[in-house]
Amino acid sequence: MRQTAVLLLLSVLALAAPRAGTNLWAQGDKKEAPPPLALKVGDMAPDFTMLNTKMQQVSLKDFRGKTVALAFYIFAFTPG
Amino acid sequence: MQNFQQNLAKLEAADTQVLGVSMDSPFSNKAWAEQINVTFPLLSDLGGEITRKYGLYDEKRKIGRRVNFLIDKDGKIVDMQIDSDAVDPTHLVTVCENRKHKG
Repeated sequence: MRQTAVLLLLSVLALAAPRAGTNLWAQGDKKEAPPPLALKVGDMAPDFTMLNTKMQQVSLKDFRGKTVALAFYIFAFTPG
Repeated sequence: MQNFQQNLAKLEAADTQVLGVSMDSPFSNKAWAEQINVTFPLLSDLGGEITRKYGLYDEKRKIGRRVNFLIDKDGKIVDMQIDSDAVDPTHLVTVCENRKHKG
């Protein structure tokens, strides 16, 4: 009984091994995961001053007292 | 930004100011805003200083990452959407609406 159990365990491991191997390779081929952000929920948002399309300076602190959705996009004329 | 524009009425109703930021010039942003009818401010981080300050500059690809931050009335980050998750702002809209209900 015990021998059967050991055999069973060994065969399961033998079956699993090549899969694990494949997964390891797959992981190597996978694109690098994007690094996590330094800023976290709970942090203060760094202040900024930038120009809007009317060439006026806009700062984050101008909106104190209001919720701000700050959306960094990659480039103008791109979707999303 | 088109997706934010589509949700703008909901966000404004939830007392939320939308600001777009990219490393484009104000001239590019103006032309683009007019083309796609974006009515909220698009801010120009020419040179990438703010993108770097927020830790979003991808040195390898030489571009900024797409990230949405939700910032509360006191200037604290209360939520964020990163990279591909940032394309659809529906989650932020829901968070804003819930926050407004809570008062």
